[in-house]
Amino acid sequence: MIMIMTAIRRYCLGVHALVAFIGNSVSYLMPVLAFVVAFEVFSRYILDSPTIWAYDTSLFIFGYIAALGGAYAQQQRAHINVDILYNKVSARTKSIFNLFSFALAMFFMVIVCKMSIGKFEEALEFNYRRQSEWAPHMHHYWLMMAVASVLLILQLSSDWIDALHQAITGKPLIEKPLENESEEEGIAP
Amino acid sequence: MISIELLTAILFACIIVSFALGAPVGLALGGIAMGIGYMTWGDALFNVIPTTLESTHFSFILLAIPLYIYMGQLLTRSGIGDAMFNASQMLIGRVRGSLAISVIVVCSMIGAMVGIIGAGIMTSGSIALRPMLERGYDKRLALGVIMAGGGLGILIPPSIPMIMFASSTQNSVGRMFIGALIPALITVVLLIAYVVISCKLNPKRAPMDVVPEVQPTPKEKFLTARDGLLSLLLIVAVLGSIIMGIATPTESGAIGVVGAIVLAIFFKRFKPRMVQKAGMQAALLVSVAMWIIVGASVFSNFHLLMGVQNMVAGFTQDLGLPPIMVIMLFQLIMLLLGFIIDEFIIVLMCAPIFTPIAVSLGYDPIWFGILMILNIEIAVQTPPYGFALFYLKGIAPPNITMLDIYKSITPFVLLKLFVLIIVMMFPELVTWLPNQLMDG
Amino acid sequence: NAADYNWRFANLYSRGSAFGAVYEDLAKNIETMSDGRIKVQVLYDGEGVGSSGIFGAVKTGLITMGATFQSLNAGELPAGLVEIGLPGGTSDVGELTTLFQEKGWAPILKEAYGAQGLVWLDPYIQPAVYVITKKPINSIEDFQGLKIRAPGAYGKFLRNLGASPVSLAWSEIYTSLSTGVIDGSIGSNMIDHRDGNHVEVAKYMYPLPLAGAQVLPIIVNKSAWNKLPTDLKAIVKAATTVHAQEQMTKSRLWESEAIADMEAKGLQWSPEPSAADKAAWKAAGAKLWDEYAAADKYSKELIDVLRKEQK
Ligand code: NA
Ligand code: NA
Repeated sequence: MIMIMTAIRRYCLGVHALVAFIGNSVSYLMPVLAFVVAFEVFSRYILDSPTIWAYDTSLFIFGYIAALGGAYAQQQRAHINVDILYNKVSARTKSIFNLFSFALAMFFMVIVCKMSIGKFEEALEFNYRRQSEWAPHMHHYWLMMAVASVLLILQLSSDWIDALHQAITGKPLIEKPLENESEEEGIAP
Repeated sequence: MISIELLTAILFACIIVSFALGAPVGLALGGIAMGIGYMTWGDALFNVIPTTLESTHFSFILLAIPLYIYMGQLLTRSGIGDAMFNASQMLIGRVRGSLAISVIVVCSMIGAMVGIIGAGIMTSGSIALRPMLERGYDKRLALGVIMAGGGLGILIPPSIPMIMFASSTQNSVGRMFIGALIPALITVVLLIAYVVISCKLNPKRAPMDVVPEVQPTPKEKFLTARDGLLSLLLIVAVLGSIIMGIATPTESGAIGVVGAIVLAIFFKRFKPRMVQKAGMQAALLVSVAMWIIVGASVFSNFHLLMGVQNMVAGFTQDLGLPPIMVIMLFQLIMLLLGFIIDEFIIVLMCAPIFTPIAVSLGYDPIWFGILMILNIEIAVQTPPYGFALFYLKGIAPPNITMLDIYKSITPFVLLKLFVLIIVMMFPELVTWLPNQLMDG
Repeated sequence: NAADYNWRFANLYSRGSAFGAVYEDLAKNIETMSDGRIKVQVLYDGEGVGSSGIFGAVKTGLITMGATFQSLNAGELPAGLVEIGLPGGTSDVGELTTLFQEKGWAPILKEAYGAQGLVWLDPYIQPAVYVITKKPINSIEDFQGLKIRAPGAYGKFLRNLGASPVSLAWSEIYTSLSTGVIDGSIGSNMIDHRDGNHVEVAKYMYPLPLAGAQVLPIIVNKSAWNKLPTDLKAIVKAATTVHAQEQMTKSRLWESEAIADMEAKGLQWSPEPSAADKAAWKAAGAKLWDEYAAADKYSKELIDVLRKEQK
């Protein structure tokens, strides 16, 4: 039993570390995105020669940030919820609510993952590209979507196990991990 | 096959339950749509996901969201945003609620840069929420001001929903833009009036700045004024880049990012770590906003494929009501639609169904379009479900609950409802200015 | 009395638009001609699938039937760009019909769409593509350096004339023309220019069309199609033929109405191009042939037919 618990705990910590790593890495895409769009403006207005690549590149980066950040947002509990009833109930009831919520979210993400893998294979088979003049490949986007979904599923599963543990024992499985910087800087009015 | 009325009721019930349990909004909406969809349609419905993902992630219009959020984060983290408000405090600090008033003015300027709700609220929230909370403002007042001010993004030109309305009903965009100016001005004036009056009645809502023991030296005063002016210059530069034809409203967000970095260097507050931290926070917010949009779009696409638009169209035919009642009923329907769909789909769906009816009843289409915009502004910020609510929750510090946000918006929604009603009663508020400025 | 087949038919126009009504007629026709055995629900732009998602949605069967615009799915089916009509191509309806029905384009396209699980029904013709500019184009050199919003094939064509194609979202064209981010924009046809209010912010239409006519297909999901008995297949085909006819007559009328509307709002035409300008225009189009033939095997087959024609 203890061994199983240790394995589960290791799994959760591993997922936590992986998701945090990806979440941090994605943040470096933000300045890149701004730079690409600003470069297009510069190239068009100052150099009088609009690029053919900035439009699609900026959209790809946007999609990568939007999708890959999802798991990290789940880890940070940053996804928006309506917390009116949720905030009024005990920690244990909360974890029972979470069992339901996270399962629903996982169900959705499993479908997203399955469809993204399908689109990835299709993109390879038919050589799918963007419809623009530059016509970059689409396959990497769908692969990224599949990875983003898997990460979210992993994080949700880890959170689900944690909620189950709390629902049964009344205690969290893992001592609350260190709050991230974003939260420690939160303002208390 | 299940009737669309019954399906709508079931979907509605699922939303209420999952929201009550505190499920993450976007992922829950996606899960509900897939679950109910599987039972009513089968697994072929899952194919709605790839097209929805592509149309959300590859939308150049939504690209304004990451760019403006990043700009907002850079401004706060470098202290440039504070410089702006410090200067304004020096100017009008003796008025109670002065900071909230400056925030409304700044929100109006942001409204003149962005054309979509998400960018408006998240930029205004990034820059202006913290200064108000730190100075001890009542959090409901602070949240409400951001929500109301950020919503101006679609009322003050440029406005993407207005462009969509004009094209789908074959009306002039120029007339829409100009027609919106007086209602926008009325909204801003009323917002400021509300802040002033409510702070007079309840001084605790907006504490006065503590008068410092030592009066600031002229040099300090000069520095505050200079910093404030420089930061204002950034807003002017972003606006200028749109007006001068250097960048589109979407791209101007990137100009803002570059400008914020340049200013940070000038203020000697530039640190690579600051840029990275701003990027971290912005990426998190972008992801949160986009997963809501993806989940909500999957949900509304399923609902639309099942024919909810035909239900609305069928309902509005042959009403046999007096004309003004028809207009009021349309407003009610749009407010209810704000419960499940975003600003763009409301326009796409309602503009072509409602406008011809309004015009056939003898109403001016531009006036009707502005009513629609005013209505959408309200619809997306009325509980329990509204994109503006979720964006604001995303940007707010962790100790702000959804209930705080719900409670904060009541007076501001009433105020906007008031604007909607007076514009409905006096169509000249919309039609007069375009007639003056544009011939024919 | 429930129908035997429930179809969803998505098109790329908004609800209430003139073109939308023509697709509504096609749906009604299928219903009446099949005596109610097929029921067709029409979906307009944004109602469940966006215009660029129609191709993919019909392919997977989410939507049974679709009226798509090939430029929007050029990344999935490059041959569609050749099918729609390469810049500088013919606008003669008789010539186009022969090209498709007798010279061999129809079987090539059936195969190209078929490879993706789609049934290609008889195409229909929509009006020409024109470019509107803020300043008059007095000679073809005036295109030099102009920033023009023109996606895909049209962008390449204008680049051959020395212009700089720009990529923008459709809903940003108006603001961008007004502020001067761009100097001009193409519209998918005159009606699109009118609906986008472009003439409020750019006054000059260039008289030569970028494409004289656009040929668009009606596509159906293959497995849904195979479920139909032979008589219903014939009925759907017959309805699309009627639809093609209606598109032709109505779109001509609407095009002239759109031009009249815009002229009333101050639209002007750039001066009539010289013979040399016309030749340069045609040459810019012909330059694209090699490039497009290289895109994929179906594009090459289509262009080979054109080449054989030229000799
Ligand atoms: Na705006
Ligand atoms: Na709402």
